Amino acid sequence: MPSEPVTTIHPGLVEVRGLTWRPYGRREPVLRDVDLVLRPGERVLLVGPSGAGKSTLLRALTGLLGSVEAGELTGAVTLDGAAPGERPGAVGLVLQEPGSGVVAATVGRDVAFGLENVGAPRESMPAVVRGALAAVGLGDLPLDTPTSALSGGQTQRLALAGALALDPSLLLLDEPTAMLDPACAAEVRDAVAGLGARERRTLVVVEHVLGPWVDLVERLVVLDHDGAVAADGPVEEVLAVERGRLLDLGIWVPGAPAPDPVPMDPGLLRARAAGPALRAEPFTVERTTRLLDGTTRTARAARLERPLAAAPGSLAVLVGPSGSGKSTLLQALAGFLAPDPADAVRVTTGAGPADPAALDAPALAGALAWVPQWASSTIVAGSVLDEVLATSRAVRTADGDAEDADDVERARRMLDALGLGHLADADPRELSGGEQRRLAVLAALHHGPPVLLADEPTIGQDRHTWAAVVGLVAAYRVAGGAVVAATHDAAVVARADAVHDVREPVRGSPVPSPGRMPLAARCGPLALLAGALLAIPAGVVSPHWSTSLAVLAVQVVLAVVALAAPGRGSPPPRRLRGVLLRLVPGALAAVSVGWSTWWLAGHDLDTASTVALRVLVIVLPSAVLVPWVDPDRLGDHLAQRLGLPDRPVVATAAAIQRVHTFGQVWAEIGRARRVRGLGVSPRRPGTVVGHLGALTLGLLVRTLRAAADLAVAMDARGFATARRRTWWAPAPWRPRDTLLVLLAALPTVVALVAR
Amino acid sequence: MATTTTEAPATRRSITATRPLLGWRTVDILTVTFLGAAFGIVFWGWAFAYDPLAKAVSLAYVPLSGLFAGPWFLAAVVGGLVVRRPGAALLCEVVAALVSMLPGTQWGATTLVSGVLQGLGAELAFALLGYRYYRPLAAVLAGVLAVPLEWVFETFSVPASWADVPVLGALTGGGAWYGELLPRDKVAYLVALAVSGALLAGVVGWLLTRALARAGALSAFPAGQEEREAGAV
Repeated sequence: MPSEPVTTIHPGLVEVRGLTWRPYGRREPVLRDVDLVLRPGERVLLVGPSGAGKSTLLRALTGLLGSVEAGELTGAVTLDGAAPGERPGAVGLVLQEPGSGVVAATVGRDVAFGLENVGAPRESMPAVVRGALAAVGLGDLPLDTPTSALSGGQTQRLALAGALALDPSLLLLDEPTAMLDPACAAEVRDAVAGLGARERRTLVVVEHVLGPWVDLVERLVVLDHDGAVAADGPVEEVLAVERGRLLDLGIWVPGAPAPDPVPMDPGLLRARAAGPALRAEPFTVERTTRLLDGTTRTARAARLERPLAAAPGSLAVLVGPSGSGKSTLLQALAGFLAPDPADAVRVTTGAGPADPAALDAPALAGALAWVPQWASSTIVAGSVLDEVLATSRAVRTADGDAEDADDVERARRMLDALGLGHLADADPRELSGGEQRRLAVLAALHHGPPVLLADEPTIGQDRHTWAAVVGLVAAYRVAGGAVVAATHDAAVVARADAVHDVREPVRGSPVPSPGRMPLAARCGPLALLAGALLAIPAGVVSPHWSTSLAVLAVQVVLAVVALAAPGRGSPPPRRLRGVLLRLVPGALAAVSVGWSTWWLAGHDLDTASTVALRVLVIVLPSAVLVPWVDPDRLGDHLAQRLGLPDRPVVATAAAIQRVHTFGQVWAEIGRARRVRGLGVSPRRPGTVVGHLGALTLGLLVRTLRAAADLAVAMDARGFATARRRTWWAPAPWRPRDTLLVLLAALPTVVALVAR
Repeated sequence: MATTTTEAPATRRSITATRPLLGWRTVDILTVTFLGAAFGIVFWGWAFAYDPLAKAVSLAYVPLSGLFAGPWFLAAVVGGLVVRRPGAALLCEVVAALVSMLPGTQWGATTLVSGVLQGLGAELAFALLGYRYYRPLAAVLAGVLAVPLEWVFETFSVPASWADVPVLGALTGGGAWYGELLPRDKVAYLVALAVSGALLAGVVGWLLTRALARAGALSAFPAGQEEREAGAV
């Protein structure tokens, strides 16, 4: 294992010979006999229709194919004559979804991740990290900036810096700008262009929109539907000679006009609406994230500036930079988030105007449809055909109607029109991202809702599938449907009747200024956990409520000390409220345990108070101390101080880091099910169990996907071979930690003395 | 570059993790900790459902409250079934306990102790089977064996002679809640826990793992491979 970072620039000669890859469970290979030689320093754009195996080829170039997916691999890939993963970090990788490769809570530690894995000395890290950040235009960011405070474009550049820190010979960018708005995408491209000016590294970029990239690369490689190389040569030449073929493959060739929408029979769609199906007066909406410590923070606020009326056949678009709140506005229109004023949004139902938030699931499904940005979370059925029919069935069941044979026929014809007909019996979760998105739009429209709320409906589609989605939406409008879409797509905006500009609302400083910290927060994570654990003996050895009361009094005094925040700066907000919130479960438990003991123990108040107070004694210190445990620092200490194995410790810290996103996933899946008409009915307990089961499964599936993505990103930065890791930050045990443990032991001492 | 997994695709035998068993891939480690974190949230939520249920049956007979404890062993069972490496069940359960502790629970720091004890128990089940057998019975055994250590922690009465010994008294008398139970009630509680572990952790955990495999979320793992081969027959 290399014990120091390699600082020489390797040439980066890539040789791919006869590469074929068939994932288990697929009949046809995704990559078929690919031969490719990339010269050192060459910059290559890799394109192909969706599902052509572009991302798979990138994984093969990292040497990570098969690390998160099982399959059959033949052929060989070498980098400078060796296996690509031989030198950790020799192949740098940036993934499509911003944030999917983020491993740490702060910018500095995140960039240093690869250096830690190769065992670089701690003293050498800051210089390398600053250099890498400067190379991507993030040199001005303080190293302790929270990674969660970065924009999508900054996050992608952070990933690039993380790769650069290991001095890669080969850089792979997997659709790095696909999920960004035009301004952020330009930032990322500028960063990539800037790299070339300084030093030449072999570069492979996968993109489906070629235009902005052609000036940054010299060679174009085209994969066809079968995963074989269809064209390869200098960019201008391939674009000129192969233009017709590229268009046939559905590739967005620069300069070519947007394709004509695929004509679709509007008779397949039945949108019943006489007047505007949805009206909204100007409103603002806040989106809050519930944090683990029980507090909330307003993550995003958005404002609809002008009234919106979704009249039959109309298309209104919300445009604006990422982060301006377009998705938030759509969710407010669907009734998932509360607008201010509260009566700003009204949908038309059979019984007149209604607040969408007040409707039950089938009624909401009858009033509107919503397609979120993350299409896979809307999947509710086990086959593509059932997925399309799910909402129609739910609405019919609610109305007491039998299933209409015509429904199935219509569903099949719609699937054929969108090029999904051959997949009717497949599991929707096995489809590609672009296929899932088309399916989501189709499934949202089959039952004929009067209005469709669509979040980036055309993102990630090639020319053909784009034409299919736009054709579907056009047919829906002809049939009398109204569409409200959040989009960056200029060709979609050009088709709109009304354009709503959504501006980023003025926020407080994006990075919270470091104010005073409570004394507890200044202690190390191990001391905090020890302090919480020391409450157990204190509770257990208290033989009587009078002892427990004395112990509790000591604990309260200690809690006040722990939460005090002497010093300068702004005081930390909502300390007391946080503690009280976290105490709620414990207090409820104390009351209920006390009550049931009183009931069982022959109405003996003494025993009941004793057990109830014991619960409080055990729970209070956790509520005060545990929230200040920082996941990154916990990792530092578990590994360096307790000597636990490095890799599980790093993985645990990364998982805890992301816990707050799980709540968002849970809410999003719940909303998607509700708008599909699959709500919970208190009258039928079966629906409650089914709903909880579906939410849990959906959360776990998304969690596993996130773990697989992060595994690839981590392995590309040398995590797989990290045997003797070094650490960005030291894990000191300071006098204050000893003091905390001693003070936390005080209640036990009091209990022993007082008994 | 080698392909992953694959032992003989037998229908009766379970597919094991790639050798060496202790050669954890990055995706193994991350999957276990991420699953653990997700289950931590589930645990936290279950605590709110558990309380009224446990109280309701406690009115009839206190030890019956153990019937609702099973979901707390799920992380260990599913972690073990998915990754199939030594330590997976333990790590998954400990991370889940740690995460469920963060928002504040009614058990405070005892949550972490319970997590370690339950995880160790389930891990023992997979170890007894040599990390080779992952049929439904293995899941049930893991669910059942998650119980004993936890039971000792919760209910072991403080022997009279230990009551005044500070350290031992604290270690064995962790059962602040159930300290008042008679010995035969404690045995009944053990049985209730074991039944719950077998059904709500074992059977449910196995079904959940199969559902994840069917959703295509376990393609990198033996459980996903078994599902594919079952479909291929």
